[in-house]
Amino acid sequence: MFGLNKIIPVDSDYKFLNHRKKFYIASGIAILLSLILLFFKGLNLGIDFKGGTLIEVSTKNTTIGELRDILSPNFNEVSLQEFGNENTIIIRLQNENNQESIKTVNKVKQIINDKVEEFRRSEFVGPTISSELLWKGFQAVSFALFAILIYIWLRFEWQFGFGAVVALTHDVLFTLGVLSILNVEFSLSTIAAVLTIAGYSINDTVVIFDRVRENLRKYKKLELLDLFNLSINNTLSRTVMTSITTLLALLSLYIFGGEVIKPFALTMIIGVLIGTYSSIFIAVPTLLVFKFRPQEEDEN
Amino acid sequence: MKNYPLWKIFIVFILLSLGIIFAIPSLLYKEDTGNWYLDNRLNLGLDLQGGSYLLLEVQTDVLIKEEFENFSDTLRVISRENRVKINNIEKNDEELKVRFDSVDKLNIIKDDFLKKYRSVSFRISNNVAIISINEIYKKSIQDGAIKQSLEIVRKRIDESGTKEPLIQRSGSNRILLQLPGVKDPERIKDLLGKTAKLNFHMVDDDDTKSLSLNIAPFGRMIVSDINNPDLKYLLEKKSRVGGENLIDAYASFDPTEGHAVSFRFDTTGAQKFGKATSENIGKRFAVVLDGVVITAPVINSAITGGSGIITGNFTSQEATDLAVLLRAGALPAPLEIVEERSVGPGLGADSIAAGKIAAIIGMVLVCIFMILIYGSFGLIANVSLIANLFIIIALLGTIGATLTLPGIAGIVLTIGMAVDANVLIFERIKEENIKNKKIYETIKKGFDRALSTILDANITTLIASLLLFIFGSGPIKGFSITLSLGVIASMFTALMLTNLLVHVYISFTSKKELNL
Repeated sequence: MFGLNKIIPVDSDYKFLNHRKKFYIASGIAILLSLILLFFKGLNLGIDFKGGTLIEVSTKNTTIGELRDILSPNFNEVSLQEFGNENTIIIRLQNENNQESIKTVNKVKQIINDKVEEFRRSEFVGPTISSELLWKGFQAVSFALFAILIYIWLRFEWQFGFGAVVALTHDVLFTLGVLSILNVEFSLSTIAAVLTIAGYSINDTVVIFDRVRENLRKYKKLELLDLFNLSINNTLSRTVMTSITTLLALLSLYIFGGEVIKPFALTMIIGVLIGTYSSIFIAVPTLLVFKFRPQEEDEN
Repeated sequence: MKNYPLWKIFIVFILLSLGIIFAIPSLLYKEDTGNWYLDNRLNLGLDLQGGSYLLLEVQTDVLIKEEFENFSDTLRVISRENRVKINNIEKNDEELKVRFDSVDKLNIIKDDFLKKYRSVSFRISNNVAIISINEIYKKSIQDGAIKQSLEIVRKRIDESGTKEPLIQRSGSNRILLQLPGVKDPERIKDLLGKTAKLNFHMVDDDDTKSLSLNIAPFGRMIVSDINNPDLKYLLEKKSRVGGENLIDAYASFDPTEGHAVSFRFDTTGAQKFGKATSENIGKRFAVVLDGVVITAPVINSAITGGSGIITGNFTSQEATDLAVLLRAGALPAPLEIVEERSVGPGLGADSIAAGKIAAIIGMVLVCIFMILIYGSFGLIANVSLIANLFIIIALLGTIGATLTLPGIAGIVLTIGMAVDANVLIFERIKEENIKNKKIYETIKKGFDRALSTILDANITTLIASLLLFIFGSGPIKGFSITLSLGVIASMFTALMLTNLLVHVYISFTSKKELNL
């Protein structure tokens, strides 16, 4: 109708795999940097995983500085941050000991009551819970990777499972690295985003693998390298289309979805970009490590 | 319409109608109406409608300590009866070591002790008795405590006027509370934070020496005053009557003492209280709540009517809350709040509004993009996408799922990802279009070839989503539910509805060629 469907031609013929070494090196450096960042800088853990108290207030006739001056003398470690606009402020307090923490919210409320329009939200996570949540999140991500590996192994051959998990691990580490640089708060919903990224990236990878498998049956003579290139090109417009629609939805969520959902949307956006890249440039080239055809083994 | 089986049209029609019919209550109605159909609405999570989520931990180790306390008290009594001296008692979390003066009557003491506590291990080595309890015993103490705590928490919440609370056991020693619409979570936390163990003890005003040394002799205990921690009382350890014998308590007003709580005992309680007061006229008795003395009046005359009044500088709210606590009864062990998430109604409403805008704009963007790229086919995909949304909302409503903020994110994400199945199909059709000349064959092949890819791709997303459901907590579960339903619904709409619409489109325009 508008002719835009020809942007990516059906018969595109990009030689993605011929440059695979460059992408290996680029990704290798990215992963290394991510690991270094995660190790030395770490993630900006939210109260879900660090424990503590968080209070969101909308203020009246006051500034963040004034509130800070009022609160600081009363609490050991208190940090204030604007949240979306200058009248909405988030107050974070560290856990002192459990009994006191329950009273913390009350104490804060009493101290700043006359400066506050509305107490919008208060959260308290005790130390036992925060470590439990962290452990559960870790379990969820590990089990997801493992379950996906098993599924791909059953549906395809084990080599594909290997390729998929290499790409997935790449995506998760890379995304975490970017989160660390950007200092995005890491919370329960970020874990949900990481898992969804895993699901999305694998979705992308599976579509290409599906085509590789089909082409392996169809073109018995074609060189593996060319066959992989062909498979990527066959599915390229779909890969790009789906990434764009997903990114459009996520962008809308990031811009209009409100402050609370922002870290989730941002994590997803980063992950979708990385996941799309890795499906093409990491997952498929990994398959080159293996031999898929019995006759090739005969020749060798 | 040729080349499209009637039964498929029928199924699409039925499912689509059901989707629209059951999405209407969620889209249009906000309150329960009592109508079976209109109440198929999706519930809003606490993060959207406002309210408090609390996770409480029953401090059962306190009970184990108390149990050991009981053991040592019992042993003292038994050894006194048998005229054996106890040299010293060592306590730790696991066992109680009692060193006796002689070994002579240890076996008799053991037998007497085990008559009272059957499943306790009682070992003797020389003149030392080692008492410990096994895991089953511990667990039965904990289980009992949690069941009782649940009941009392429920009573307290009901008395506090909270509507539609959800109160359930979580794990081995926790209680989970969801309190929609609670405006003052601090008050609820106050109500839950008190054990509310009420006891009436006689005050020993004669033994001033022990009090001044701050050492309680056997059978006595030293307790401070609620308003002045430096003011101490020497009390009989054994209470004369306790809160378990109360049948009613309510806030009242005493002209001289201000806000107060009036109470009434049951028959046993009234008898005990009557006996204690008639025997001790002129002495003081203390009202002890959670280990502090609230008031210690002098008994002027025997109180035999079984009712009384507690005063103690209460505010009106304090008196009301104390009455609530006394009516609900005492917790067997203290409760500790280990997690709290409270959202005010303002933030909830803002989140819903923002979520709606994000969903609508995301939807419009995706729709425009699809039309730009695929033309008429994009329009078909958009119809499927809208149908998809109706089906998700209908499913959420009929299974009574809870919509949370991450759940809204899941829906918006689904909008982006749901067109994927359509894209897969269209791209296949495009490829087949080059090879095939017959238009229906092209379409059929396109759908058939895309099928296995769609299944594989979506099942992996479902796996990730399922694990989120298993490991995620409240709001995250909401996300995984909407994402899973979205994926399932998108498979149906792409394979059935898009398919049907493509056929309708081709036969309607009587096209011979595809310009996809």
